[in-house]
Amino acid sequence: MNWFVQTVTSSVGKKAMMAITGLGFCLFLAAHLAGNLTIYGGRQAFNAYADHLHSLEPLVKVAEFGLLFFAAVHVITGLVLFYQNFAARPSRYAVTSSAGGRSIGSRTMPYTGIFLLGFVLYHLLNFHFVDKTGTTIYDIVSGAFENPATVAVYVCAMIVAAIHVSHGFWSAFQTLGANHPKYMPLIRGVGLVFSLLVGLGFGLLPVYLLAVS
Amino acid sequence: MQLDGNVPGGPVAQKWDRHRFELKLVNPANKRKFDIIVVGTGLAGGSASAALAELGYNVKTFCIQDSPRRAHSIAAQGGINAAKNYTNEGDSIWRLFYDTVKGGDFRAREANVYRLAQISNNIIDQCVALGVPFARDYGGLLANRSFGGSQVSRTFYARGQTGQQLLLGAYSAMMRQVAAGKVQIYPRREMLELVVAGGQARGIVVRNLVTGQLEKHMAHAVVLCTGGYGNVYFLSTNAMASNVSATYKCYRRGAFFANPCFTQIHPTCIPVHGTYQSKLTLMSESLRNDGRVWVPKNAGDSRPPSQIPESDRDYYLENKYPSFGNLVPRDVASRNAKEQCDQGKGVGETGLAVYLDFADAIARDGRDLIARKYGNLFQMYEKITGEDPYETPMMIYPAVHYTMGGLWVDYNLMSTIDGLFVLGEANFSDHGANRLGASALMQGLADGFFVIPYTIGGYIAGSSFAEITTDHPAFKDAAAEAGQRIQKLLSVDGRRTVDDFHRHLGLIMWDHCGMARNNGDLGKVRSLIQELRAEFWENVTVPGVERDFNQSLERAGRVADFMEFAELMIVDALDRQESCGGHFNEAYQSEENEAMRDDEHFSHVSAWEFTGEGSETNFHKEPLVFENVELATRSYK
Amino acid sequence: MTKSITLTLKVWRQQDPQSRGRLETYEARDISTDMSFLEMLDVVNEQLTLEGREPIAFDHDCREGICGTCGAVVNGRPHGPEKGTTLCQLHMRHFSDGDTIVIEPWRARAFALIKDLAVDRGALDRLIRAGGYISANTGGAPDGNNILVPQETAELAMDAAACIGCGACVAACPNASAMLFVGAKVSHLALLPQGHPEAAARATAMVREMDRLGFGNCGNERECEAECPKEIKITNIARLNREFLKARFFSSVR
Repeated sequence: MNWFVQTVTSSVGKKAMMAITGLGFCLFLAAHLAGNLTIYGGRQAFNAYADHLHSLEPLVKVAEFGLLFFAAVHVITGLVLFYQNFAARPSRYAVTSSAGGRSIGSRTMPYTGIFLLGFVLYHLLNFHFVDKTGTTIYDIVSGAFENPATVAVYVCAMIVAAIHVSHGFWSAFQTLGANHPKYMPLIRGVGLVFSLLVGLGFGLLPVYLLAVS
Repeated sequence: MQLDGNVPGGPVAQKWDRHRFELKLVNPANKRKFDIIVVGTGLAGGSASAALAELGYNVKTFCIQDSPRRAHSIAAQGGINAAKNYTNEGDSIWRLFYDTVKGGDFRAREANVYRLAQISNNIIDQCVALGVPFARDYGGLLANRSFGGSQVSRTFYARGQTGQQLLLGAYSAMMRQVAAGKVQIYPRREMLELVVAGGQARGIVVRNLVTGQLEKHMAHAVVLCTGGYGNVYFLSTNAMASNVSATYKCYRRGAFFANPCFTQIHPTCIPVHGTYQSKLTLMSESLRNDGRVWVPKNAGDSRPPSQIPESDRDYYLENKYPSFGNLVPRDVASRNAKEQCDQGKGVGETGLAVYLDFADAIARDGRDLIARKYGNLFQMYEKITGEDPYETPMMIYPAVHYTMGGLWVDYNLMSTIDGLFVLGEANFSDHGANRLGASALMQGLADGFFVIPYTIGGYIAGSSFAEITTDHPAFKDAAAEAGQRIQKLLSVDGRRTVDDFHRHLGLIMWDHCGMARNNGDLGKVRSLIQELRAEFWENVTVPGVERDFNQSLERAGRVADFMEFAELMIVDALDRQESCGGHFNEAYQSEENEAMRDDEHFSHVSAWEFTGEGSETNFHKEPLVFENVELATRSYK
Repeated sequence: MTKSITLTLKVWRQQDPQSRGRLETYEARDISTDMSFLEMLDVVNEQLTLEGREPIAFDHDCREGICGTCGAVVNGRPHGPEKGTTLCQLHMRHFSDGDTIVIEPWRARAFALIKDLAVDRGALDRLIRAGGYISANTGGAPDGNNILVPQETAELAMDAAACIGCGACVAACPNASAMLFVGAKVSHLALLPQGHPEAAARATAMVREMDRLGFGNCGNERECEAECPKEIKITNIARLNREFLKARFFSSVR
């Protein structure tokens, strides 16, 4: 087998792919959040941001395909890992108890991941694959969040995303070998702050829009 | 009959060089035609397997544990000696040799000990190369500490886990040979019989402990590295599975057993708590560097230690041995603790303990320094006893720790059976009547890495081997014997458990053949053992079946062998009418209760030959000649 | 103070790998709180033997926490509830009168069950065989002091080398991964200068073997670190990841 294929299909290789793609998503989330904050600036600001993005069309396309590729890698690898980890213990314990290593994030990683996959599809159907002729993106977004049920789905999804990121962020560094007694506390701290930002930043937007509608 | 140790001629410092030159060599291309069986994977067995495989022999290695990495060498704490003189204190091969002969109370073979001291330096080099993480000084050089009352710092160590790290080093070297296809590992196998064909050791019969099946394995030589027999006392610092069976079975096949009564009792162990106790835990004797040993002055004083004022305390070691104080050698410290407890001054729930008090050291050096030195030991003590040694004195009591006796071997480490080599604690060779601290690890690795690779070649090159298979009658007979014995054990169907018998045997041995022995007791105790053995074969209950993972059956076989072996120890102890090292006969002591050797009559190795079930064992003598170390009386006053 | 307690044990009994196992209930009476956990099992086994029943099979040897032979999952915790403690060093004073204790074997596909609480951890030996060594034939080693090892490095290597190979990390890992075991060995040898020449080959071979043996993948759940009786840190897993990626992308090892 080719050395590269052998590397990425090994256990450490698969984890490294999860880590790299995961960190890629973190970067995307940061950018996405920064852009979305323009909503607080009102209709014009947000639409201007959207227009600006569209003016960068070729770049955006590259980014979109990149994200799609990352997503495919992250999801497929994640599912393979999920299956393999399940199969690694064919008979389960009658009693399980944690010694304090696991966190709510680490414990639920595959499940939050699968949930987020569903959410992302839903999100894209809502705002990406919609007919935008004769309307603006602000109208689509604010229209969607007039429905409290939609708001609830989004808020839940953002809590799940925060949980996923809370483990994923530091874990990615650990997987890539970056665990140093001096810097690990910082990485963990940044991970926590970042997951809070993701949760609050994205989660409050729909609530805000519902409130001003 | 006088035994000949086959020691080469010439000055002691040149014997090993000369011998290596004189030993015949096996042509490198021919080595792959020879199979060697190694039994046991401790320091001796692991290193022998690796070294022999590196030379090209086909090695089959057997161990009783589920993995070769678990042999009991792993539990050694303190360190390993070498005559490197890295500390510039004037150490030398000669000094290590001298100390070891003297420490062994002049009952070891000089030539063997000298070779051990010579090889000691190569061991350190080899282990460093294998990646053993020895302690280092700030500059990156190897660190040394002083150990066991030695006047020079020559002990190399890896925290309090030196045995573990050395064993894992030997194990890793062996596993590399497994990967190379030169060593085949057979874990969870117990050796039940040695197969002797045409006067040569040619194989073994083992029981597969998972399936219960008997397996026959053929080879051109058998290397026994099965450790010591301390568990004859039931309670010892040995691992639960440590046993005498392999060496005892070889004794029954014709290998002589040397000095079985030489057992070492270690003074600083955690005392016995109750009858359920399964083993004893050793704490490094470095504790005596700062701890003060004492008992209440008055027998029966049951006040807690904090309420016993200084005036009512007896620091008996300091009082009796003003110059060495708490640092007297292991045997002296042990015997004195027993003496105090025999006078009713023992402390703790059982009255079989003395205090080891750190209060003064903590007051002098501060708690932090003491914690840095002994923190892990204090933690271990607290884990086991639930008491905090920073607050209340430790309680300690001596426990059986090491057995200097073992199968008799010559300078080539070959027993009286051709082709049966015995290494490490299983042989008798290097420690005389008493082993010095940090010397056991040295001997195991010396035998395995640096002695057996040469001497086994000499044997193989100088012998002719009949073409046999495991269908040879000798294999069939040995397997049949092993099978019958298992059936016999399972068919007794009595009312006492194996452990119950073992505990009983242990008590007899501890009381009468332990720290101090007297002729009256020894005379009586033989019949006690015989009675217990008779009861064992009528009243033991062994549940389960032969073809199964049956741990009760495993233990039953080992205890049955201990029952027979114990008698041999008594015979040897009775025969040796002197006190030396680990053998203290109360009839031979000075006015100050010091051991008195009788060099005129007992400067020899006692080697015992099996002559058949129920008949008296035969005595053989290997005289010991001391040409390089002058016979002297130990004194620690 | 020594007390006597009575416990209800629910112990996994399984005759062999093929047959079905189940939890069986036993009463452990008059257990001294000074006993170790294994001594408590000894007492139960003595009782079972005298009643003509088969005693519980469990592995154990040194009973001082260094050989790595013993181990069972006690109320969901490998080696029981005490931190940094093997099962043989767990004492009954940590339990109360009337407690129910569920005792199960290590469970992982790579550790086949033998009987009751005894499992086959030969996979850990196979991992070492794959590369957990330094190739240094006996006899040719230079003087020990020719290889300088900074004290801090030696200490870090020793931290990793303290592994007793008990398999608790695998038992504790929700994914039954052996990364802490492999990480400890790769770290121990990669830290020391003696181990550098083979570092790339070692990391590659050991990870490959680990995958082949059917262990799970590390999810950075840190249960291994929390349960390891020798308190080996997951920084060793990070070092393994580093060594592996370095070996795969920056060495000539294929």
